[in-house]
Amino acid sequence: MASLSLKHIEKIYPNGYHAVQDFNLEVEDKEFIIFVGPSGCGKSTTLRMIAGLEDISEGEFLIDGVKMNDVEPKDRDIAMVFQSYALYPHMTVRDNMGFALKLRNVPQKEIDEKVEEVAKILDLEKLLDRKPKALSGGQRQRVAMGRAIVRSPKVFLMDEPLSNLDAKLRVQMRTEISKLHDRLGTTIIYVTHDQTEAMTLGTRIVVMKDGIVQQINTPEHLYNKPCNLFVAGFIGSPQMNFMDAKVEVKGKDVKLHIGDNTLTLPADKAKVLIDGGYDGKTVVLGIRPEHFGDGRKADKENTIKAAIDVRELLGAEVFLYFDVDGKQCTARVNPDVDLAQGMEGTFSLDMDKIHLFDKETEKSLLYAE
Amino acid sequence: MERNTMAYKSKQFLMFAGPALILFCMVIIIPFIYGLYLTFTSWDGVSAEKPLVGFANYVSAFKDAYFWSAIGRTLIYSAFAVIFVNIVAFLLAYMVTSGVKGQNFFRAGFFIPNLIGGIVLGYVWKFVFNRAFVAIGSAIAGGTVPSLLSTTGGAMFCLILVSVWQYAGYMMLIYVAGFMSVSDSLKEAAMIDGCTPGQAMRNVTIPLMRTSFTTCIFLSITRCFVVYDVNLSLTRGEPFFSSVMAAMHVYNKAFTYKDYGTGQAEALILFIVCAIVGITQVYVSKKGEVEA
Repeated sequence: MASLSLKHIEKIYPNGYHAVQDFNLEVEDKEFIIFVGPSGCGKSTTLRMIAGLEDISEGEFLIDGVKMNDVEPKDRDIAMVFQSYALYPHMTVRDNMGFALKLRNVPQKEIDEKVEEVAKILDLEKLLDRKPKALSGGQRQRVAMGRAIVRSPKVFLMDEPLSNLDAKLRVQMRTEISKLHDRLGTTIIYVTHDQTEAMTLGTRIVVMKDGIVQQINTPEHLYNKPCNLFVAGFIGSPQMNFMDAKVEVKGKDVKLHIGDNTLTLPADKAKVLIDGGYDGKTVVLGIRPEHFGDGRKADKENTIKAAIDVRELLGAEVFLYFDVDGKQCTARVNPDVDLAQGMEGTFSLDMDKIHLFDKETEKSLLYAE
Repeated sequence: MERNTMAYKSKQFLMFAGPALILFCMVIIIPFIYGLYLTFTSWDGVSAEKPLVGFANYVSAFKDAYFWSAIGRTLIYSAFAVIFVNIVAFLLAYMVTSGVKGQNFFRAGFFIPNLIGGIVLGYVWKFVFNRAFVAIGSAIAGGTVPSLLSTTGGAMFCLILVSVWQYAGYMMLIYVAGFMSVSDSLKEAAMIDGCTPGQAMRNVTIPLMRTSFTTCIFLSITRCFVVYDVNLSLTRGEPFFSSVMAAMHVYNKAFTYKDYGTGQAEALILFIVCAIVGITQVYVSKKGEVEA
């Protein structure tokens, strides 16, 4: 297995498009790294640079301390699972899985043993003599994984491997991949635009936007301490609610005015705004849907009043959609909360869990990266 | 009207396929059947009378040594032309899909010979072989160098060369489509699996281009088997009838020697030989074809 080092990686296409800017990342052995971000953010480009399928315009890429910038993909000892699976349609599952070993002149007997062994892990034994066309999406996905595993490479690269599967199969395969990582103990770099995959699979997540790394950290850290508005909004589903709040400083107390609602900040958060000189300015308040509560029974402080636009029952929980000062908000509450569409709701805010962002720079005022 | 009735379905079929079917019958099926009828007559191609002679024309065709030597010559010519047309077309297609600068210009350039009619092409190349090459050869070697078209082997070589020049551009387009149908991710997967460019070509790209090979080989076989225009304008079957191809022999038999019935019978035999070769090739090539 291997450690990877990406130092000041840049990707500039001949037409001048700057796809990746100053990408820095140290990947430890056996880490499961997720590149996540919206379409066009440069995550796949970065993965392809690691694979050697794209040239690195500037910067250094090392595997186990050896510079790989100009090394051919076949000599990097990496395996890749493609979004389209990229199984050779004219070969059987067995041939697909053993192809890389055959190219390396591994004896046929050894290839057969290795293929059988991996097929057993992935439950592909009965499909070995079929061609990809005769397989379902999930089976093809497993063959693609098997083809990568058979080689026992230093690094696994996965480019949105679950995006062609239906929702149910995706959840199932997500679990399988997680188990495989534990079992094989390999270094994996995984690209996805699905934040749920990122949160559930990764040991560390790299959040990207417009070719720039926004934040690199563990899923918990990104969820609890996002460093900017983008990360806060991207990680978490339903996404974090954002509201413009006018700051009013009264001695050591800080009040936030959101429309007709007034909130009082806890001392630690108040200090940040006082020290930052935000008195009279507008900041962005962020709060996750689960940090809203039914405020009808709570004291009047730190509550927000709003009419319920939509109520969605998901079984174990309910999503309530409402409008606060022109911003659409979502609350995740217990199904027992008897707020229905059209009713006037009062929501309490867990003020210890709120986030504050500078409206101009969009950076978090509470958690710097 | 009930949609599930035979009458409705027939009406629907005739509405969509009727015009094309009528045209197809008029220009292909009816002339073919009429041609078949003529093989049983001793028509001279001119007179109003077409006396029936039974299978006499077929007997005469099977006894015609010149016809069979023309068929043999056509087979040799086709074998070489088909091989070289496809090799050149494949290499051209590889070049114009490899991202070389000005690849669209090259694609158009290589296709242009196919747009020039065979007669014109033959005369142009005749000038090149008889005048240009002779002049260049004479200037280099001194004295007078004979034209390639004046030797028996040379004439066949010239025919093959011109056919390759004429057809390669067309076949190139089909190979270009084949190259483009192989998805980039498969090529990339091959690179990551450890293929050199040559191995990727041999193990991934070429097997996935079988449809293109099937089509190109079939088209080139059928075209080469019935070559006439270039044959006429470039060599006229000379020297000493050494480059008379089957189609030219059939034409001469029917129109020059006014033996239309035998000519038509020989044309039918040529058609059957061509169909057997073509269908066998397609049957063999189609096996193992997969979608890229």
